[in-house]
Amino acid sequence: MFQQFLDTFVIVQGWLLDHVVQPPLLALGLGSYLEVAFDGVEFFLYGVLQLSIAYLLLRPLEHFRPLEHWADRKAVRVDVLYTFLDRLGIVPLAVFALLSPLFMSLEGWLRFHDIIPPQLEDAFPSLESYPLFSFFVYLVILDFAEYWRHRLSHTLRWWWALHVIHHSQRQMSLWTDSRNHLLDDLIGGAWFALIALGIGVPPGHFVGLMVAVRIVENLSHVNARLSFGWLGERLLVSPRYHRWHHAVELPAGAQYRYGCNFAILFPVWDRLFGTQYLGEELPATGVQSTVLATPAHADHFWAQQKDGLAGLFRAVKATLGSERR
Amino acid sequence: MYPRIAMSAHAIRKIRRAALHVCLPLLLAAGNTDAAPLGLALALNSADGTISLIDMDTYKVVGKAVACKEPHHLMPSPDDKSVIVACSASNQLVFFDPLTGKEQKRIRNISDPYQLGFSPDRKWFVSNSLRLDRVDLYDASDFTLKARLHAPRTPSHMAFDAASEYVFITLQESNEVMAINLKTLKKEWVMPVGPTPAGIVMTPDNRYLLVAIMGEGYVEVIDWKTQKTIKKVPTDTAAHNLHPRGDGRYYFVSNRSVSGGSISLLDTQTMTVVEKYDVPGGPDDMEVRADGKELWATARFGRRVQVVDLTTKTLKTSIPVGSSPHGVFFLNHAPRK
Repeated sequence: MFQQFLDTFVIVQGWLLDHVVQPPLLALGLGSYLEVAFDGVEFFLYGVLQLSIAYLLLRPLEHFRPLEHWADRKAVRVDVLYTFLDRLGIVPLAVFALLSPLFMSLEGWLRFHDIIPPQLEDAFPSLESYPLFSFFVYLVILDFAEYWRHRLSHTLRWWWALHVIHHSQRQMSLWTDSRNHLLDDLIGGAWFALIALGIGVPPGHFVGLMVAVRIVENLSHVNARLSFGWLGERLLVSPRYHRWHHAVELPAGAQYRYGCNFAILFPVWDRLFGTQYLGEELPATGVQSTVLATPAHADHFWAQQKDGLAGLFRAVKATLGSERR
Repeated sequence: MYPRIAMSAHAIRKIRRAALHVCLPLLLAAGNTDAAPLGLALALNSADGTISLIDMDTYKVVGKAVACKEPHHLMPSPDDKSVIVACSASNQLVFFDPLTGKEQKRIRNISDPYQLGFSPDRKWFVSNSLRLDRVDLYDASDFTLKARLHAPRTPSHMAFDAASEYVFITLQESNEVMAINLKTLKKEWVMPVGPTPAGIVMTPDNRYLLVAIMGEGYVEVIDWKTQKTIKKVPTDTAAHNLHPRGDGRYYFVSNRSVSGGSISLLDTQTMTVVEKYDVPGGPDDMEVRADGKELWATARFGRRVQVVDLTTKTLKTSIPVGSSPHGVFFLNHAPRK
């Protein structure tokens, strides 16, 4: 059965490569990108698969066990657009195209001077015999890095001006995970590429895994009453856990000044670094902002992109002003 | 540390039996192939980081060896006692026993090895870093780095002249062939070729370089001494790699399309394509059985190894393997000429 699924997947992937991707690449003299393009088609198909699974599993949950009842789902539409752009590979492709030359040059320079970033397997050669375990260890490392990227995006004023777009959604749903400012996506991509460079693994190595992980990220934003249980809530980021991260009213306490529950997959990072909040209630989500609450902002992709850039400009200006003083 | 090998008891017995035949190459050379088992074929699954071990008699995958991150190409050691796997993302060369598929040793800190080659005089071991635009020249006796050259952009395949004076590298993105002088260890010349050159081989008479031009589906014939293109031989869409049939005259050319994939047979005396076989799935690297009866090719985009019956000139069987199979090797191979 699994072989049948694989065979069908490969046929569709091959057809798309042969008939849609390969002809223009060859015509443009970009044949050396065929292997990357093949991976890109795979990313696209995994995206379709992942979206289908997320929709089929999570949308019924939102319908039958909603946490919040909304008069309509109009505000969710823009998040659906973000999700398609992200999950089907359009935003990741743009990020890859922009960052790839820069990071390849940097890595090329390092390697030319015989600087090979150390890998876990160099210190623990036995990991080489257990690639799945090795994969999990790398996942933990990447999730740790993601925790700090996320936390910094709340702490640094200029970065928050971009990341607030993700938080301005008041009707949080399974579609909200991809709602990000494009510049925020670009910075996230650069962060990921830097980490990958630091641990000596090409970013593409994790693509398959990241696609699977993103189902969990869809789940963490779902508008449904869903409990992972006492232990589950402490092992994996749940909708309840992540809802507190999106709360309009943050929990009291200096440690929550910039937010709480920053973890992407594993709540243990919040526990270790003092940002965990395990509230029983299920708070309202969104941000307190008059600008970001307007209908013009709420429903429109480009308005949100513009507001993000304006916020960034104001934050940089304010920071520079305060430094001069 | 040996890799984890998952095999059935039957497969283990079969491989033990194969291992007992340490004189297999001699038997094969003598043409006594009927009685002896054909042994194992090794196919690198570059996206999975594994090697599929295939029983050549039954065409069944009988085991899997864990290799490393992104193993793309492999080649036998000069004495055929090892298969050297280039692990581009692990920065290693991993040596496997071609009879059993067991790991023999690892050499670390070989930076991003992608395509490998030994010079005919066995003095040089050359490693291309396709991703990072670099060619590394190692002393083949101890794998110490002797020279490192910039090779923009995307150095892909390589070929040597008979005297081991030059190594020629295709530069896939800049549409060039680069010649490195193995005496001075410096780039000697670069010449333009067709779009997206990939596979490159030297003809048996040492006169011409044959370059597979993926962008336009032909083989470019180059007089390397004058650096002139003398002919373009159309093959099929996405001409990618070349492999000798073993008779000193004919070369197989893999045309790496998925549904329309094929393998052409090129006559290097007339410089014409004389046969073509339909091989779906993106045929890439190839290997020919010593008796000349079968051509094996990895189907890069089809997750399979394709076996072409060279008598009937049709696809004989298709063996499911891992993701993105790239290099393929078996000890029972035809001469490399």
